[in-house]
Amino acid sequence: MAETSVVRSMNSLRYHVRHRTAYRYSGRIDLYHGLVHLRPREDEGQETLAHRIEISPEPRVRVEREDSFGNRTCYFSVEQSHESLEVVASMTVLRPETSATLPDSGIAWDELRVGAAEKDASGVRLANFQLPTAAFPSFASVADFLRPSLVPGREAMALVNEVSSRIYSEFKYSPGATDTGTPLETVVKLKKGVCQDFAHLMIAALRSVGIPARYVSGYLETQPPPGKPKLQGADASHAWVEAWTPATGWVGFDPTNNVLPAARHVKLAHGRDYFDIQPVKGIFLGTGKQTLLVEVDVERM
Amino acid sequence: MNGIIDAPPGPLAARVPPELYRSGQGLRDEAVLPDGTPAPAWAEFFESCQRHGAPGLREWRETALRISRDRGLAYRPDRGEGPDWTLDPIPWIFSPEEWGVIEAGVAQALRLASAVLADFYGPQRTLDQGLVPVSIVLGHRGFLRALHDLAPGDAALGLGLAAFDLARGPDGSAFVLNARFDCPYGIGVALENRTVVNRVLPNLFHRCQARRIGYFFTQWFDYLASCSPSGTGSPCIVILDSDAEGESSEIAFLANYCGITRVLPSDLTVRNGSVWLKALSGLMPVDVIWKATHGRDLDPLEASWRWTAEGVPGMFEALRRGSVAVASHPGAEVLETPGLFPFLPSLCRELLGEELILSPAPTWWCGDAASRSHVLANLPKMVVKSVGHHSDFRTCYGQRLSSAELEELKARIEAEPERFVGQEELAISTVPTSRGGELVPRGAVLRSFSFLDAKGRPHVMPGGLGRVSTAEGVIVSTRESGESKDIWVRSHALDAPISLKRRLERTQVISQEVVPSRRGENLYWAGRYAERTDAIARFANRLVVGRSAGFQYGRELETRHEKTLVRILFSVFEAERWLVDAKEPDERLGLVLANSKCPAGIRANLSAFHRACMAAREEWSLTSILAIETARDRWFANAAEEFESPYRYERELQNLALNLAAFHGLNLDSMTRDEAWGLLDAGCRLERASILAGLLASLLEAGEPPAMGTLLNESALFVSDSLGTFQSKFHSVPTTGLALRLLLGEEDYPRSMRYLLDRLEAMLGKLTPPARSRPPHERIAPMRRDLDAFLARLGDGKDFSADVSAEALAVLNSIRDRLAALHDDLTTTYFSHADYHG
Repeated sequence: MAETSVVRSMNSLRYHVRHRTAYRYSGRIDLYHGLVHLRPREDEGQETLAHRIEISPEPRVRVEREDSFGNRTCYFSVEQSHESLEVVASMTVLRPETSATLPDSGIAWDELRVGAAEKDASGVRLANFQLPTAAFPSFASVADFLRPSLVPGREAMALVNEVSSRIYSEFKYSPGATDTGTPLETVVKLKKGVCQDFAHLMIAALRSVGIPARYVSGYLETQPPPGKPKLQGADASHAWVEAWTPATGWVGFDPTNNVLPAARHVKLAHGRDYFDIQPVKGIFLGTGKQTLLVEVDVERM
Repeated sequence: MNGIIDAPPGPLAARVPPELYRSGQGLRDEAVLPDGTPAPAWAEFFESCQRHGAPGLREWRETALRISRDRGLAYRPDRGEGPDWTLDPIPWIFSPEEWGVIEAGVAQALRLASAVLADFYGPQRTLDQGLVPVSIVLGHRGFLRALHDLAPGDAALGLGLAAFDLARGPDGSAFVLNARFDCPYGIGVALENRTVVNRVLPNLFHRCQARRIGYFFTQWFDYLASCSPSGTGSPCIVILDSDAEGESSEIAFLANYCGITRVLPSDLTVRNGSVWLKALSGLMPVDVIWKATHGRDLDPLEASWRWTAEGVPGMFEALRRGSVAVASHPGAEVLETPGLFPFLPSLCRELLGEELILSPAPTWWCGDAASRSHVLANLPKMVVKSVGHHSDFRTCYGQRLSSAELEELKARIEAEPERFVGQEELAISTVPTSRGGELVPRGAVLRSFSFLDAKGRPHVMPGGLGRVSTAEGVIVSTRESGESKDIWVRSHALDAPISLKRRLERTQVISQEVVPSRRGENLYWAGRYAERTDAIARFANRLVVGRSAGFQYGRELETRHEKTLVRILFSVFEAERWLVDAKEPDERLGLVLANSKCPAGIRANLSAFHRACMAAREEWSLTSILAIETARDRWFANAAEEFESPYRYERELQNLALNLAAFHGLNLDSMTRDEAWGLLDAGCRLERASILAGLLASLLEAGEPPAMGTLLNESALFVSDSLGTFQSKFHSVPTTGLALRLLLGEEDYPRSMRYLLDRLEAMLGKLTPPARSRPPHERIAPMRRDLDAFLARLGDGKDFSADVSAEALAVLNSIRDRLAALHDDLTTTYFSHADYHG
């Protein structure tokens, strides 16, 4: 397999992440089924020193498993009557302190061909990351956006990086403008969205020209404004993209911030789109409305 | 009837007379050979047609339509909209030799599908080897990646039941048009068609030595039972359906025939990693599920393609644990893509080492450059289909498109070619179909049903569902309306009936009979709404009769009586606010007789009654269904929604009362006295007691002086269906005291409160409440005590003071409140399972 072009240093950054999801219900809930992707992957140089998921009330069933992309999932069911439910994931993660540089794939985007049987270094078939999904049922919606970047013969990673930069400069980061059900067409039309929309947009654009691309969920350490203390819970779940070429393997891009993810990006999971690896997904049975509170703290130790 | 043979096959003219049947021009006909003589399998059929002539054909058709209508099957193919399909009584007949080829072909197609599915959800060697384009499989909306670790074979995930749509081309060879594995519709219709056609043409059926299909269902049941992971002798098997309204009643027919409980997603719950059925007696573990719903809707927790609350969350987890078996594999929909068609011959060679027997319809996948050129060059002759990615593309028939539409389609294919296939529109063979007194040729498709048992042996139903287009032409689409047919497979010898030994064996494995809570709740509500409708109809009758005949008490009094009676009615059903805007007597009566939303009106309650009944249609006999349908249909057809003069309704009120009485009578007569019946009865009694308490309390609150009071008492007795009883018992004007004596205290009188409470206590006492619940019927004893105390005070009812009246009011109000609390208790204990903690 190709050698990674991210330059590794001997030092590592150590993060403590606390991700709290709290539901409150207006009535009583008798049954809650949850599926979470909250355990960091332990590959590509990332190490998990400690990890814990606390769920209250106490689940009757709780199972950890690996999904088909190698992510750690946890299924649980809370079967006692409750009015609030909390899932708190705490983890200590070691990230290699790297300074990312854009690798050269040595191949033009319009010459890249991926065979049906071809797999990535972890043994997952690349075709999984080349197809439309429910999140972007057609690539047609991104064709106009992508067209200006499709210079024939351009090196593939340069193209990928330009798509990332263009999303950063042409789209406005605007929480609340979209939700998880907003179709990609709408995002393209509004020119607004959040990290998840930008990741989907970039993935659809890359796949439309045959470049394997996958969705990554995780956390990003944020810096408080100069002179201000860092606020508790001010961080959020983050999402970015990885693209693949034969010479480079998977390379990360963060279109929301126009950076190449490095030490400050803590990776949880990857999949074909958001719905494969939703950090916390749950279905409750009972009457009443729910209010949801999510708090994420990423602290460098 | 089957034992009687009416005549030996008579000598038929060598050729089928053109006045009897003229087969299609230039198309192959199933019944007539090119030389004009009948195909051997059809000889008896034509002979019979000739003998009975046009009147016979007309009668067959009408009889079939009548029987199937009465049996109440509504079949909308693929749950589409539009009109129901109808049944054509003319069977599609196959010779044993023809069928032999089809049977072998279907069995092979089924084994192939099973092997392909195992590979797709397992090692995916077919993708590595390029036997199938990867995008067709991994891009299909029914390919459930969450099940990658659950290949068929594990946790008894098989194909469950498969349907192949077959047609025959001009050269007589059969080919596959569609394959359905996910939720193949039509098997209930096939069963139903057989039942009906067997009654229309019993002699012909016998003379043709057509094979029976019952054994296929027996084997299918045995297969489902054998999937049970618990390995107990009487596994809990359920059919998971998605429709509460009984629209998909073919599944209800199937479930009934096989003796399997039909459930909806909301009837099931996953707890402690297992699937449970919410039954009247609490949660029951489910062993085997055959789903008639889409696999991708099965578990909303893990179906990543969209958020849906329609399924059973946690189901995939239960599957992984092996605590439940689901036949068929929830991810089997991927096998339905026509994108696989071009690759089936090589898959068959590779996976089974055999040559494919039944060719799929000629199909070109546009992801392949040469195939794409072929499709685009012949677009006006093509049927273009989606390979089943996430998209809303509907099948396009090239010949029906304008040139602008063809251009648009071409652009769409060129933009994303791997998402489309083109199929050549084929000249399929025709079969004789009745139209009035004539036989006409119609393009026909056979839907064949089959399954692989737990040992991998294929079983093909010796029959199936025939479908013909309504108009001439060759396109038979499941989405458009058409007619269905029975399929007759001839044999050289009469089928041996299922042996006694076999039947005895069968009793070893029976599915537990379970009443799901939802069905119980619907029965309970059916009882309540029936009683409510009945009471309102009697109120209305009293009002209408009073208007037309008068009560001879004088106009002023009668007007006031009418107004008070209406107010009482609306107060009993807590609908007083509806009276605010109804100033005129006719407006008030209109609310009761014509308005479809008013809770004190007939329409709303009759609709609710019908809905509750249909949601529990498994419980009714065919005659009961007829009574239910007639009660609603007649009222809706004949009692105008725009209120007209009240006299128009008199006759319909009588009919309604009669139909509801028939419903109650039939239930008494035909239902087993099980828990379901107990809840229906409890619903009736509880409603009747509540209405009675409300009625009498309103009456006492009104506190009218003698003349008006007497008239109101008479009305109350009439509304309680007790006026006649009162008159024969007391020979007196109805005083309040005597009316209360009868309606509250009369022993062994089904209209008295005392009787109703006793009966409720007895009925509810027979239900088994879930463990650790307080039995709801314990609430009745205190009501009885209060009532008895009051009855002692009332004595013979002849002296009725203001004090006694006040006590009566207090008792009635307290009974009313306690009945409401009893209702809440019943709901939480038996229906909602809200407080079950395992």
